[in-house]
Parts: sequence; structure tokens; C-alpha cells
Amino acid sequence: MSGVRDDGFDGRFDDRFEDDEESAVDEEFDADILEEELRQAVAVLDPVPDELRQIAIEAFALHDMDAKLAELTFDSLVDAIPVRGAVDVPRMLTFTAGDLTVDVEVTPHGLLGQILPPQPAGIEVLGGPHPAAPTTLTADGMGRFAGDAGVSGPFALRLRTGGDVIVTEWLRA
Amino acid sequence: MERADVGALVRAAVDGDAAAWKALVEGLSPLVWSVVRAHRLSDADGHEVYQTVWFRFAQHLGRIREPDKAGSWLASTARHECLKVIKGLTRLMPTDDQQLLDRPSEDLTPEQSLLDSEEADAQAERIRRLWQEFEELGERCRQLLRVLMATPPPSYQEVSSALGIAVGSIGPLRQRCLRRLRARLDARGAA
Repeated sequence: MSGVRDDGFDGRFDDRFEDDEESAVDEEFDADILEEELRQAVAVLDPVPDELRQIAIEAFALHDMDAKLAELTFDSLVDAIPVRGAVDVPRMLTFTAGDLTVDVEVTPHGLLGQILPPQPAGIEVLGGPHPAAPTTLTADGMGRFAGDAGVSGPFALRLRTGGDVIVTEWLRA
Repeated sequence: MERADVGALVRAAVDGDAAAWKALVEGLSPLVWSVVRAHRLSDADGHEVYQTVWFRFAQHLGRIREPDKAGSWLASTARHECLKVIKGLTRLMPTDDQQLLDRPSEDLTPEQSLLDSEEADAQAERIRRLWQEFEELGERCRQLLRVLMATPPPSYQEVSSALGIAVGSIGPLRQRCLRRLRARLDARGAA
């Protein structure tokens, strides 16, 4: 394969390309070798940290088919229009599982939440596959709950309402 | 990983097979890590994104519509979480200070330390030179190649999910980026 240089590239990807190829040596072959060299280099210089791989293996414990999944349907980080000049705006999240919604406000000082339709619930704040002792909160008869422990890193809420167990989608606080 | 293998492993993991889950982690962790690294998050943010992606994958396991494409699911989830981190940072910062986003790890892995102790080793030197030239490529090339160099090599569908670029443009872009890297190495060798 030679002379196939016009790749239809429209210039968006990197507009600083110079015409730096020198000869039409077997390019396809060369590219594969170079990519393989990079693959060997990254295995030495930037591999997956062992502790992270181990955490991912342990995450199998989070596979819970008995719980209902409450999907993230609103995240102020993505869906809200930022207010000019506003700092320290709380992160607003909404999770939805069927007819049930859970609104959560995450601030540096803790969690504030509302279950709709309003109902009491026991709530665990999960931080990983093996939480030593998960923070537990209680939603009152109006479905309101609050926790004064700050949340950071990956987290999910496990709610027990009536006969149901509902877990919110994992996300990073 | 081969898609058929990934699909079979996902289905086995759904049925409770922990060994299948482990095989998925072994086979697809490098892809997830590559996506995180391609977005140049700080170490702390990158570690949290990596974990969030795997926690969510475990949670969604039985609900994933196309088990064969679990690699793309992971790559796409990792990308979106990375973009959220970047968005959160820029929102907190008064300016779009790229320097703050651009904090590659300073920590030496044991392997790097080993390289340091064997300065004279030609192989180590070659890898170091290659890595340096790779790091100095334009941002988009660096990003594409960082994802492509995962082990096992990701499919173009996975690369597309990881970076939000069309499958059809990946091959030509890869050629260009590798050609450019080759030219940099040759220029350095000749200097």
C-alpha cells in the first residue's frame, strides 16, 4: 500500500500537522510496529495501578440484581446553566426508579435529600465494595433526609422503603 | 478483547461467576485506565473515575443491552466521567487554566525506578525516548495514541466511545499520529 495519503481528514483533529513524512517506506507495517512499541512502553511507564485493579475485582460485590436501580436523570454539573458569579453552588442530583425519585443536594458539609412520593426510608451511604461501616441516614415521613458527613469520591445511596431496596447509580461526588 | 469473549464473560458474571468478572477486569482495565490517562486528570481524580466506572459497571451488569460491547460501554462511561471532572474544575476556576488540568503523575512506578537504576540499559533508554516524544505530540494525537496503546489493543468502536470521534476517522488519524511520532524520533536520532 503506497500513495494512499488522502485520508479525507478535515483538519479538525490537529491543525498543526506538518507534512513530515519523508519516504514511502512500508507505512502500514511501520505504524503497527511503532504502536506495539508504545504498548510495551506504557506497560512499563504507566500501567494500571495494582490497587485499582484489585478494587475493580472486589467491585463484583456491588452486583446486586435484587435491588432496583435508580438512574441518574439530572446532574447540575452537566444539565444546569451556571449562575454567573455564583461560587460553591451545591451539586444537585436526581435519581429515578420507576415512579420514585430521589433528589440529592451534595455540599461540602453533607447531604440533603428528598424522596418522592414522600415516604420514610432507611438509607446507607456507600463508598465502595467494602464499606467498613456505611453512614446510615433516615428519611422521615415526608421523605426528607439529611447527613452532616461530607461525601467525596465514588458514592451511591441504598434505600429501603417498604419492601423495596433501591440503589442509586454510582457516581463521583 | 474479542467481543464474543467479552459477551460470554459478561453473561457468566451476571450468573454470579466471580472468575468471569475477574477476567473482565483483567482484560478491560487497561482500556479504562487509558481513557482516564488520555484525559490527563490528576492522580486523585483519575483514581476516583476509574473506580466509579467499575462500580457502575458492576451495578449495570445484568442490564447491559449489548454484552458484546461492554468494552465500549466502559470506555464511554469513563469518558463522560472524565469530562464531568474537567467541567467541575473549570467551573471552580476563575479562568480556563489548562495548566491546572494538565498534571501528569510525578510518582515513579517501581518499574520506572528500576529503569533509573539501569541508566545504561539501551532498551530502557529507547523506551524513555519514545515516551518523551509521545508526551510532546499535539494533545489530540497524544490522546488518541494513549487509548490505542491499551493491552489488548482496543477495537475502533471502543476508541470511538472513549474519545467521541467517528470510527471511520480513527484509522487515518492513527496513521497520521504514528507517522508524526516516527518523524520526531527520526529527527531526534539524526540530531
